[in-house]
Amino acid sequence: MTPLVRQSGRLLVLVTMTLSTRLPAQLPEIAIERRLASELDLAVGDTIRLGPAADSIRFAGVVAAIYEPRSDPAEIAKGEWHLRMHLPDLTRLLGTPDRVDRLSIGLRGGISADSAAARLNRSAYGYRAHSSRVIASESSQTFRVVSRFHRAIAIITIVASAVFLLCIMLLKVEERRLDAAVMRFVGVRRRTIFGALLLEAVLVAALGSLLGTGLAYLAGAATNAYYRRFFDTLLTFSLITPDIIWFSVMLSLVLGAGAGAVAAWRLVHTKPLVLWGRG
Amino acid sequence: MSGLGWGLKSLRRHRLRAVLSVAGIAISAALLLDMVMLSGGIERSFTELLLSRGYQIRLTPKGTLPFDTEATLTGAGRLVEAIRRVPAVAAAGAVLGTSLHARRGDSLVTLFGYGIQPEAQALYTMLSGSDLAPGDSSGVLLSEPASRLLHAAVGDSVTLIGRLDPQVVTERLGRTLKVSGIVRWVYDYRGQPSVGTVLSVMQSLAGQRRDDRASLLTVRAEDDSLAATVAAGLRREFPQLEVNSVADLVRHFKQRLVYFRQLAYILGSMSLVVTVLLIGTLLTINVNERLGEIATLRALGISRRTVVREIMLEGAVLTTVGSIIGIVLGLVTARYLDGILTSFPGLPAAFSFFVPRRDSLATAGIVLLLTGTLAALYPAWLAATSPVAATLRAEAT
Repeated sequence: MTPLVRQSGRLLVLVTMTLSTRLPAQLPEIAIERRLASELDLAVGDTIRLGPAADSIRFAGVVAAIYEPRSDPAEIAKGEWHLRMHLPDLTRLLGTPDRVDRLSIGLRGGISADSAAARLNRSAYGYRAHSSRVIASESSQTFRVVSRFHRAIAIITIVASAVFLLCIMLLKVEERRLDAAVMRFVGVRRRTIFGALLLEAVLVAALGSLLGTGLAYLAGAATNAYYRRFFDTLLTFSLITPDIIWFSVMLSLVLGAGAGAVAAWRLVHTKPLVLWGRG
Repeated sequence: MSGLGWGLKSLRRHRLRAVLSVAGIAISAALLLDMVMLSGGIERSFTELLLSRGYQIRLTPKGTLPFDTEATLTGAGRLVEAIRRVPAVAAAGAVLGTSLHARRGDSLVTLFGYGIQPEAQALYTMLSGSDLAPGDSSGVLLSEPASRLLHAAVGDSVTLIGRLDPQVVTERLGRTLKVSGIVRWVYDYRGQPSVGTVLSVMQSLAGQRRDDRASLLTVRAEDDSLAATVAAGLRREFPQLEVNSVADLVRHFKQRLVYFRQLAYILGSMSLVVTVLLIGTLLTINVNERLGEIATLRALGISRRTVVREIMLEGAVLTTVGSIIGIVLGLVTARYLDGILTSFPGLPAAFSFFVPRRDSLATAGIVLLLTGTLAALYPAWLAATSPVAATLRAEAT
């Protein structure tokens, strides 16, 4: 027998030991998740009846614990309620003795999970072994799709924001036509005017970025508060990382400065009389 | 000069800013259209999927949704007979879903198996070959992926195995069947290898024959308008079962995908805000630059109403041009986004998140046009209320 099989055998023994310590007259113990306990107004010590179908609720059990399940993004939208039972109690209830969906195997230190799974699969018949890494990867497919969707939406919004920013900066600089004309009339050099307008554009972009960062934090907090309440979970839905802030601020500054530079260049190369409206 | 001509001339005067504004509006319009399609598309697509075979009601074990759990109901034949006797029920059938294996050379492949009643089935459409006859216990239907996986065509034989026994390394509940036809299973995800047999054969393969088990029952009312009444009647008659009409199932599904609908509303609203800001800012600056021109027109006798109309027309022109480009852009991006979302694991291949429809296009267009026109209200008010004499004096100095 390989170390892997021994380990799985130990798991089954543990379950048997749990059963053997129970008094025969005791009802099977059931652990109920907090949301379900709250919905059914259950407390520890209450007796409940369970069954595999609505017309065969004959299995009695006692609530031994109420637990808070680990937040699972894959489960929140389903709105399902969970309870936990000892394996023999559950198989008896379902009428499927000695049948399980899956077995978990803990490996001894230094053994690769992938090579152990491959070794098991070489002789597998009627089952399939997967390493935890592969299962995690497979079960995160949904989130990869959501992530790709978010990225695509983000690209569209970034392009929209970029065009918006370019437009606003252009208008902002063009608003200074009269000021630029006056400066040119009194002999201020084009380069100085260009520098002043560019500096103004960068300052506006920097201030806008700061304000935007603050707004993003507020929106993120509101999003988390809303969805945590909506799904009754502790999961984080909106996470603003330093990388995201860095990217957004840099993009705003580059676009702001770029738009400001284009607009300022156009302005300083326009005749002062035209800027004054008399050209 | 007509109002439209005046607006176009004004926009031509500042080409760069007009082009940038139109580009911004186009992207906002594209995003709005996509979000309008997303918010309604999920519901429409799912409804079409459920009604693709005309069956409006599903019955499942209490507290479950079709194929959401492995729960099954017992006495399927008896239940189907009872349901068929209910007035206004045109057809009813039972379905059992289970996983099973098939032999390919010296290896085994895993398949999804449907047990169906061919005389009342709501799950597939024929692609080639012939349908199973009621009670045909020697035939099997394959999906195209299953046909490819098993290298089997119509007329070939395949061996299906219901259960493998790892303890003694033997196959149990095996059966060799002849391929009757290739079908498209309505609820299969992309590439899902599925097979279908008559209910009794699949029950035997799954070891569910003794209790006559089924995963769900499908019911077709004589008329769509009777579906809700029939569902209510079935709920009263079979309290141990979960009875869901298409509307109920759509409601459950919408609840699960509530995130996408909310995202659609938020992003749609944001795109409208961007449109308002763009048009509002552009026109306000244009009006400020043209205050002298507007004051001169007012002094010549042009009414305030005319000035307001011209400014609002300018907003409408910008929005219309941006929206036309945006709708084309939106349809292209919707295809791309739909390609991403429909790659969700386990989602039926026939499902779509972004459904382009005439009413979606019309809604997005009307909302944008209204928004763009309303965004011009402030600059129009500014133009209409500017003091004529003071503005002309200021222009002269």
